[in-house]
Amino acid sequence: MSANAQPVAPVSQDTKAPAALLRADGVSIQFGGLKALTDFHLSIQQGDLLGLIGPNGAGKSTAFNVLTGVYQPSQGQVLVRDTKVNGRKPHQINLLGVARTFQNIRLFRALTALDNVKVACRAQTALHQSRLGLGAKLANAGHNYADWWKALLLTPSFQREERRLTAQAEHLLEVMGLSHRRDEEARNLPYGEQRRLEIARALGSQPRVLLLDEPAAGMNTREKADLMVLIRKLRDDFKLGVLVIEHDMKLVMGICEQITVLDHGETIARGAPSEVRSDRKVIEAYLGDSYLESHGGAA
Amino acid sequence: MAQLLQHLINGLAAGTIYALVALGYTMVYGVLKLINFAHGDVMMVGVYMGYATAFAIGREARGSFLGIAAVFAVAMLGCALFGFLIERFAYRPLREKPRLTALITAIGISFALSYGFQLDIGFLPGASPRAFPEIIEPTEWLIIGDRDVVVWNWQVISFLIAVGLMVGLQYLVFGTRFGRAMRAVSWDHRVAALMGIPTDRVIALTFMLSSGLAAGAGLLYAIKDTSVSPLMGLYVGLKAFVAAVIGGIGHVPGAVVGALVLGLVEEFVVGYAASTWRDAVAFGFLILVLLVKPGGLFGRVAAEKV
Amino acid sequence: MQSPALPVPEAPSLVPPALRGILPLLIAIPTLALFHWSLTGSDFATYLLSVVGVNIILAVSLNIVNGMTGQFSIGHAGFMAVGAYIAGYTSLQLKEVALSFLPVSASDQVLFMLALLVGGVAAALCGFLVGLPSLRLRGDYLAIVTLGFGEIIRVFVQNTDAFGRALGLSGIPQYSSPGMVYFWVFLVVLAARRLAGSSHGRSLWAIREDEVAAEAMGVDTTGYKVRAFVFSSFFAGIAGGLFAHFVPIINPGSFTFVRSMEIVVMVVLGGLGSTTGAVVAAIFLTLLPEGMRSLFGALGTEGSLAQRVDQIRMPIYGLLLVVLMLSRPQGLFGTKELWDVLPRWLPRKRRGLA
Repeated sequence: MSANAQPVAPVSQDTKAPAALLRADGVSIQFGGLKALTDFHLSIQQGDLLGLIGPNGAGKSTAFNVLTGVYQPSQGQVLVRDTKVNGRKPHQINLLGVARTFQNIRLFRALTALDNVKVACRAQTALHQSRLGLGAKLANAGHNYADWWKALLLTPSFQREERRLTAQAEHLLEVMGLSHRRDEEARNLPYGEQRRLEIARALGSQPRVLLLDEPAAGMNTREKADLMVLIRKLRDDFKLGVLVIEHDMKLVMGICEQITVLDHGETIARGAPSEVRSDRKVIEAYLGDSYLESHGGAA
Repeated sequence: MAQLLQHLINGLAAGTIYALVALGYTMVYGVLKLINFAHGDVMMVGVYMGYATAFAIGREARGSFLGIAAVFAVAMLGCALFGFLIERFAYRPLREKPRLTALITAIGISFALSYGFQLDIGFLPGASPRAFPEIIEPTEWLIIGDRDVVVWNWQVISFLIAVGLMVGLQYLVFGTRFGRAMRAVSWDHRVAALMGIPTDRVIALTFMLSSGLAAGAGLLYAIKDTSVSPLMGLYVGLKAFVAAVIGGIGHVPGAVVGALVLGLVEEFVVGYAASTWRDAVAFGFLILVLLVKPGGLFGRVAAEKV
Repeated sequence: MQSPALPVPEAPSLVPPALRGILPLLIAIPTLALFHWSLTGSDFATYLLSVVGVNIILAVSLNIVNGMTGQFSIGHAGFMAVGAYIAGYTSLQLKEVALSFLPVSASDQVLFMLALLVGGVAAALCGFLVGLPSLRLRGDYLAIVTLGFGEIIRVFVQNTDAFGRALGLSGIPQYSSPGMVYFWVFLVVLAARRLAGSSHGRSLWAIREDEVAAEAMGVDTTGYKVRAFVFSSFFAGIAGGLFAHFVPIINPGSFTFVRSMEIVVMVVLGGLGSTTGAVVAAIFLTLLPEGMRSLFGALGTEGSLAQRVDQIRMPIYGLLLVVLMLSRPQGLFGTKELWDVLPRWLPRKRRGLA
């Protein structure tokens, strides 16, 4: 099937356009003999709302993990605003403005909703390391230890900083409609709210790019509809570029302006929802006949 | 030159014994992702079983082939049973709990055994080391030059037994149905269970196997040292663990190579530098390896599934 | 940066912010001074109080790593040894020195404080050297490496003339007093509570809860773990320094694996993550053997039984860990503090974690 597949054109790179917030350039990754991702291209600009779809095991989550530094690409490079970030740790990439949620919710379960967000807000106060030399490391270490001493001495500046972080986190909880859960432990929240709290936490790290891994999984139809509206609103209010992995076709087709389709680690299609929907390879690989039947070919 | 050769032989002899214990750490880590802290102490218990057997069968029988076989058989089988009991009653109830709980349990068992055996109440042996009966009477088998290089019979015998056990283990893991089940459990024990592999039984057998091997290794160590003490498990166990980490924990041939390397490094440090530093060598080496190659010589730092 | 600049709210407190940092000290120091001067009782009570205090410092500081951060160090006695030897050695070197502008006793205490800090910093430095390679990896490695570190220290001391080899270091001036010990107890509890309450402490909890997620949210997990470990080692070093100044002799036998395990048991029994739990467990487990000894003594049972208490204690600690893990892995208090578990009719501080 993939033997006669047309190669998908890489993302066009207009040199005059502003640097992409996050870009993958021919990224491949292998686990042993298994190619989990092959020659993956992606570019996210501010205001983008992109979708990443594909059947189970197509490499969607792997793509996320490469983009966020959990896995290192075997080939190709990942760039954040034209800075190559191969080999950097996930937290360093996060500090450059890339935040994510997880497919299987990974909240800090014993912390309150507020503290979950606050941890992300606090992390952003670290010195941003552009270079990884010894001098930068020492400066960073000095800053960090000094910050802890301030916490132990409870200096006025530290107290002010803590209040600022609390206010920031409270604001994000409000945006996500979770204010009433402020002091509730994350593990006691209902499922849908846990998903929203994860987004609030991701926003706490003040991202410019937000990667959402199946944000609607396990939600009912109404919650999904609300989520669609919310994601759009977040993109506009926070001036983000958003990339969504989603199984729910309706959600993806409904909100994404451009969709990338993966199958067996390869990009088999890319384009507007209407184009992708009518693409033969996509129908074959992912949507299958049942989709066409149930949706009458066009929705 | 002769001195070098002698150190090489001694180092390899020590290394093979470490290897047998290290294999136990690596196998259990493979199937459970648990550092079985108590492994060395289980080994110590096995050695005491062998010690008791050697006395029970009397001085004459002890030297014969059958006598030696009996000592090893009792120690290894008894220890396997002991390992089974620990797994069944201490580790199995904690399998789905956070990993830290199992680690703390293992540390607790280790502590209870190594210090419990130092009491002299009832059958417990008390703190002072005891002379281990010479079930293999030491003789010099090979002498080069004017006693420049000496190879003892127990070195050769331990080496052969250790290699035999290792080859058997290699066959078991890679050549049998049980080995395949073990590797499947090691990959993902939940999925393995879904595929119809009796996970509990495989894990229990792995524990028995590693405990039995450890008892065998412990006996060889006791023969070499001609003594047995409640704390031997802690020390031998820790060094074997270091060996397993050096080789890359969870990696079977890695454990063997790591153990041989450690045996040699220790021997050379003792031989050429200072013998009083012996106990620090292994850990210094461990910290060095973790700094330079965190996954060990053969292992890889596994990325957690996200 | 995208969210609108939010106004920073004012502190909702009666105490001015500038004073909040030192307020506990202003209350504690006079109290401790009173406590110190009122103690003119028996030497044994003084000794016992000091031992309890040192154990509290050790347990509370270990809890920062094992409880709050979810790592597992079992070599705390090693850092205690570093502090004890370095502080003891410093005091021996400074024995003849006196600060002329101060009365002798005050001068001694200043020098003592200096020696303690030197010991604490040395222990912290060792914590950094041990923590950096092992904390990059998963938690289990820390257990082994810290255990190994304890061994290295023991071997190092046994091979160093300046530290008296196996005989140990004697003649260290006996500067320690319950007042000084409990001053440090107070400091470590204050530091641990403030850390836990700050967003830095929350980041440590986050690492304990889910390391991958914490890393993805920008938390430098290795950095945080190493920092927690360094802080913990610093206080272990202080505890060692205090210890060295009230016992007649320190030798490698005072800082064995057994000592480390005692502290681990205290932290686990108190509840991994509970500072007050560590305090309660440290007091309980230190006084228990003493209590048993005097009980057996009073009952007039054969003398050997009273002496055996120390011997039997160790395997019991091991079994206690196993039983705790199987039946109540959260320990006495779990991650809560004393005031969270007090009966309902008593005033409570606040709900939620820590």
